[in-house]
Amino acid sequence: MLEVKNLVKKFTSASGDVIALNDVNMKVETGEFASIIGKSGSGKSTLLSMLGALDIPTSGNIEVDGVDIAKLSINQQTSYRAKKIGFVFQYYNLIPNLTALENVMLALEFGGMPSKQRKARAEQLLNDVGIEESQQLRRPARLSGGQQQRVSIARALANKPAIVLADEPTGNLDSETGKKIFDLLHKLSRSENTTIIAVTHDMDIAGRTDRTFTLKDGKITV
Amino acid sequence: MNVVSRGIKNALRSPLRSGAIVLMLTISIGLILSMLVARSSVDTKISSVKASSGTQITISPAGVHGFSGGGDPLTSDQITKITDTTHIASIISTLSDQMTTSDTGLTSSLELGSFGARQQRSSSDSASSETTPTATDTSTTEPTTTDRVAPTPGITVTGTNDVNSVSTDGSDLNLTSGKTIDATGSDLVALVGSELATKNNLTVGSTFTAYGSTIEVSGIYNTDNKFQDSGIIMPLATVQKLTDQSGAVTSVVASVDSSDNVSKTVTSLKTTLGDTADITSQAEQAESSVASLKSISGLALAGVIGATIAGATIILLAMTMIVRERRHEIGVIKAIGGSNVKVIGQFVTEALTLTIIGSIIGLAFGVIVSGPMTTSLVSSSASSSQTSTSNNRGPGGAASMINKGFNQISSNLTQVTSSITPAVFASAIGITLLIAIIGSSIPAWFIARIRPAEVLRTE
Repeated sequence: MLEVKNLVKKFTSASGDVIALNDVNMKVETGEFASIIGKSGSGKSTLLSMLGALDIPTSGNIEVDGVDIAKLSINQQTSYRAKKIGFVFQYYNLIPNLTALENVMLALEFGGMPSKQRKARAEQLLNDVGIEESQQLRRPARLSGGQQQRVSIARALANKPAIVLADEPTGNLDSETGKKIFDLLHKLSRSENTTIIAVTHDMDIAGRTDRTFTLKDGKITV
Repeated sequence: MNVVSRGIKNALRSPLRSGAIVLMLTISIGLILSMLVARSSVDTKISSVKASSGTQITISPAGVHGFSGGGDPLTSDQITKITDTTHIASIISTLSDQMTTSDTGLTSSLELGSFGARQQRSSSDSASSETTPTATDTSTTEPTTTDRVAPTPGITVTGTNDVNSVSTDGSDLNLTSGKTIDATGSDLVALVGSELATKNNLTVGSTFTAYGSTIEVSGIYNTDNKFQDSGIIMPLATVQKLTDQSGAVTSVVASVDSSDNVSKTVTSLKTTLGDTADITSQAEQAESSVASLKSISGLALAGVIGATIAGATIILLAMTMIVRERRHEIGVIKAIGGSNVKVIGQFVTEALTLTIIGSIIGLAFGVIVSGPMTTSLVSSSASSSQTSTSNNRGPGGAASMINKGFNQISSNLTQVTSSITPAVFASAIGITLLIAIIGSSIPAWFIARIRPAEVLRTE
């Protein structure tokens, strides 16, 4: 279970402090598919960064299965990201000089899986998300946007994370491909009992998730 | 695929850029090896020259120059002072003289030739200040050198307390017949050079007249040097007595107890004897001669340092550029769980890969160019010192041995053999690793500072 309590994040700039998140409270049960919606600049991506231990909150708590990740050391945060969190980015963020297979194996390496088991596990994951064997040996530049996002999802799921954080996972795809990617995430959420929190602009997609949080000026309004 | 294999793969990611970096590193590392080889070879040569310069010091009367005159012989008091000087282990004293036709019935085996005759006449003129009327014009007293009778060459007599000191190469004197003489005694005996013996039909047991005394030939020696083999060696005391120069010597070769004490002993002797004697040592001459080699050694060291800085700067700038370019990628790797250690390890491996490739080619390049480069550096520098330090002090005998030895050292200065020793090679590899470490350190610091949230926020 994920629970956020009184989360505040301030950024300091030349023009003064900017409050990106202001007393955010939210709770997501294990295996739920939640969405976060809001206008650009509302603090969606900042909230996702806090949940993924990519950034440290100014105040407040983020508890995952009872552990406050805001209080973890740098090394503990790295380990937390590797084992408990899966990221799916809008622009996929695959490593360009690694093949699809190697991209997934990279996440498995960081998760601590023995090297001999990585390849089989990565192939299995890529097969699960619909990447054929011949495509698995291609570099990202030789894959379509939809294929790259599938590889990105396979990478996110590599270490069987407790939570998958998806930042606009369909934002860079056409509607049909976007729908397929959403269906894939939904299916995996159900089959693996993985908590998925997705930031989206798409109200149709948000409407199909188990729970939706609306952010406005750094505050959850719904 | 792990950190190392990813680093290697990334190093070859951009062939053109990697090629350019490797090329620059090749030149840099090749230069490092060449300079290390030059330095090592020159240092070896310096040590060799110093070692071969020995522990001997030559003391001659001030201003003396062969038989051209100058200075008074060293006295027995001066010899005592020399012997009493600290660190002097032993001395070889020599008194040289030239017998003329009035001193002996022997005929010189030397042919003066036009140059020798000119020198002899010039020496005779300046010594006597006499003028000789010409045969063709007796009405004038103006001397000329063109039509006078050619002088008869003298016969060099060397009195010494060690006959081996006359040997041209410092080894024992080679006797072709007979036996050696007791050089410390005062018998009327002599060793005769093979050329002079042949010219005068002298054999072991024969006698000849010198300074009004009858001298017995004890042995015939051969040095393969026409001048030396045209002379006579007798005990020092005998020559001193025959020439009425009791206690006088024209040169002393002093042996110092250790090569480390040569310099201080020379200083001590100069203080004791003042300006009455010229004091030289091979060690001093060698020191002066190897000064140019030392400058090459210094230059080579500067080259090593410069090339190391250049190599480190190349890899540093290249890796900094690569890290800045791949900042986003580093942020992503950290976001999906890559630790600083793993990311830095990957980039250090990348830097090491480029450095190792550059090193392999650079070391091969260095092996090829180090020889010609060392030879070029040495030959251009050492030739000047060779001409500036080579001279000829004192009359023959023991002093000639010193001078000949030094001339040999001096002529060998340019013969520096460049060799790549394991130590030099290990140094080059060590420096290469240093380049990689320096080149990776600042990029690693950049990597550690990259925060994934900031990188991903700028998408």
